[in-house]
Parts: sequence; structure tokens; C-alpha cells
Amino acid sequence: MINRLYLIEASGTNPTENLALESVLMDQVNFHEMILYLWQNDNTVVIGRNQNVRKECRLNEIKRDGVHLVRRSSGGGAVYHDLGNLNFTFLTDDENYSEERQSQIICNALRKLGIEAECTGRNDILCQGKKFSGNAYYHHNGKSYQHGTLLIHSDLSKMPVYLQPDPEKYKARGVDSVRSRVTNLADVKPGLTIDQVRTALIQACEEEYGVSAEMYSRPDVDVLAQRTAKFASPEWIYGQELPFDTSCEKRFPWGSIRLEFRVEHGIVTHVSVWSDSMEPDIIDVIPELLQGSLFQSEELCKRLSVKDHPIYRDLCELLKEQV
Amino acid sequence: MKTPEELKYAKTHEWVRFISDTEVEVGLSDFAQDQLGDLVFVNLPDVDAEAVEGEAICDVESVKAVSDVNAPVSGTVTEVNEALLDAPETINSDPYGAWLFRLANVTDTENLLDAEAYIKFCEEEAH
Repeated sequence: MINRLYLIEASGTNPTENLALESVLMDQVNFHEMILYLWQNDNTVVIGRNQNVRKECRLNEIKRDGVHLVRRSSGGGAVYHDLGNLNFTFLTDDENYSEERQSQIICNALRKLGIEAECTGRNDILCQGKKFSGNAYYHHNGKSYQHGTLLIHSDLSKMPVYLQPDPEKYKARGVDSVRSRVTNLADVKPGLTIDQVRTALIQACEEEYGVSAEMYSRPDVDVLAQRTAKFASPEWIYGQELPFDTSCEKRFPWGSIRLEFRVEHGIVTHVSVWSDSMEPDIIDVIPELLQGSLFQSEELCKRLSVKDHPIYRDLCELLKEQV
Repeated sequence: MKTPEELKYAKTHEWVRFISDTEVEVGLSDFAQDQLGDLVFVNLPDVDAEAVEGEAICDVESVKAVSDVNAPVSGTVTEVNEALLDAPETINSDPYGAWLFRLANVTDTENLLDAEAYIKFCEEEAH
């Protein structure tokens, strides 16, 4: 049974700081307490705990547009967040944790706003057969959380720009994202605002647990800073980069070429080249040049710049386009 | 639900098979895999890692949930079942064949339950 219900809202829209706060709340929540944490990330791709970053994300586009890229602690697939989306997290101990009950709170909140949603237990929450809330879960040290998105007036055109469209492009171990038909709640209920949803959620939560929500005091600044550093570290975001195989190919005036890469922990460990070019001397040394490089177009191009040759210049363009 | 007699169990739903007095093999019980649902990913511990009874040693992912696997006893990791990395679903289809890791220098075994006590514990937990 839940004796105390707490509410805390993120102080900003930085995804790294927001994930860090969530993680600290998980450590701090006591038995028989429920913390409802509400937060928004601006312009952010969030990948699941066990996903391969390159397999899921179009890193060049993410970098080009200054999109944040973060990894959460829970499972599941990659999503895009902006300020048209509201995130919620229910944090409690394992005993009081109930996905059924927590999802029902979401449905009850929406009903207050005149929206009929379907809660299907552990699955996503749907409205008129389309997903507007993706949920994921984390169980650690006797505590659990369920968190999810609520698409209210999110820019749905961004997702395909930053998430990998071709699951066949990278062959790797790791959890695959599942594509779903999504909808914004403001399309179901025109004029719906984030604030209305926030207020309804808090009310529905109080009704479900039969207690009034108290404000949760913000955790210690140093503890938050340390946790933020963990979520910001390349080891956390990319370090789980599991080995993968990928390829790129193109036809040029001098012939066509296909490069196949084996990448382990971000480093090219093996390259195979197929080409009908009439310059084998130039082609045959490519694996030697590229093996050992970081798997980034800039680094790969630097390796190819040892010799100023038109084929290498074309290859560099190809790598910039496709890596 | 299968709960083989010859194994020991932890309240956090790991099974323990004694290879000798001080060596064990650890996996997830049939009850655990059923509660978790389809396993899609396994993070195994490092060989030589120190397992401390009751503390998280690695984790698994199932239907969008990441869950701790606790060390049911203390000891040193000597071997991990790498075959599970490419086939995590084996934990669902053959929970008592799908060992996760082996431990040596095993201590802190006094909290382990026998099959009968574990079945009773699961029944209580299900209510």
C-alpha cells in the first residue's frame, strides 16, 4: 500500500539531467512511497538500454541538427522527444509496483479530459488503435519504475529523420526498435495542452492511491551532478556499442565499389572491398588503410587522404554520405 | 511450472546447481522467466567478477523491462554462458538448461531454499 505520494517536476528540458534525476529518485524512493516524476526533453533521441546506437540512430543527422542523444536505463526501443511530449515516471518499491494500476492512472487521467484510451496491461497505451504513449520498465535493487511518453503535440515528422530507416543496414546484436502507428492526443482532442494533461495526471494519481500529493524535495546538487556525468559519458551512450557489420556501396564513373566493415567497440576491425575498378593498386590497399580506424567518416577520410587520388576522394564522399 | 528437486533457489528467483561443494551454476527459474516474459537481451557478468549474495550481478531485458539478476550466493565468476548472448530466448524455452554463469569459492549459501520451500514461496508471491 502507498502511504505517501510525491510529485516532482524536472527543472529544465536537458535529457541528460532529467535521466539523472530519475535515476537518483529510484535510489531514494522508500518503501510504501510512490513518486510521480514529470519531465520533458527538448529535441532528443532516447535509445533503450540494450540497443546498438548506430543500428538505431542516424548519427550524422543527429549531429548536424544539434539533437541530444541519450540512453535510458530501461529496455525497449528508440524514440524522439520534443516539447510536445510529456514524460511521466512512476517510482516505487517492487511490492507496490503495478504496471496495471499505473497504466490505469494514465487512462483515468485522459478520461477526465474526454479521451478514451485503451490500457492493455504491459503494452503501449493506445487511442483509436494508435499509440500515443510508449512505456518501458526498470527493476533494480528492490525498486522499480515505469516510465513513458505522452504525445500531445509532438512533431511526428522528426522521428524518421533521426532514427535508422533500414534495419538491414547494420547487422548486430542488440534490441531492435519496433515501429508503431503513433498519434498526438491533440489530434484526438483539439486544443489539448501539456498543462491540462499534467494536472489530470496528478489528480488521477491522488485518486488511485487515496492520498494527496506532496512536493518531493530536489535531491542534493552534487549527487545529481555525479549522476548527470554518468548519463553524459560516451561509455554510457556509446560504450555499449556492440560489434556489428555494415556496408556501403555506390557506382562511380570509374566503376562501382562495395565496402564491408566489421566494427567492434567503435573501431573498424575488418574491411572487405569489392570493385570492378581498373586500378587494383588503389583498391587493394583500402582495407589496410581503414582497419584500426574509428568508425566515423572524418577519421576514415583522414586515413584515405594519405594519397591524393580521385577514387579516394569519391570514397570519402561516399563514407560521409553513408557512414 | 517446473521446479527440479535437485536444485536450490533464491527468493529473487535464481536457481543454483551445485557442481561441487564450492562450485555452482546459476540460472533463472521457470517462475522468473514466466513473470519476465520473452527475453530479448542478456548482459552477463565479467569473468572474475565477485558475486555478493543478494546483490545485482548482471541484468536481463524482456518486453521493454530491464531487470536485475541477483547473486543467489557469494563467489567468483569463473565462466559465463556466451551462447545466451545470441539466443536469450533459451531462458524461456529451457530455463534449467540456460545457465547464466558459474561461480567458484562459493559462500553465503544459508539463505537458499529447497524446491519445496521455493514452490511455497512462489505461491505466496503470486497472491
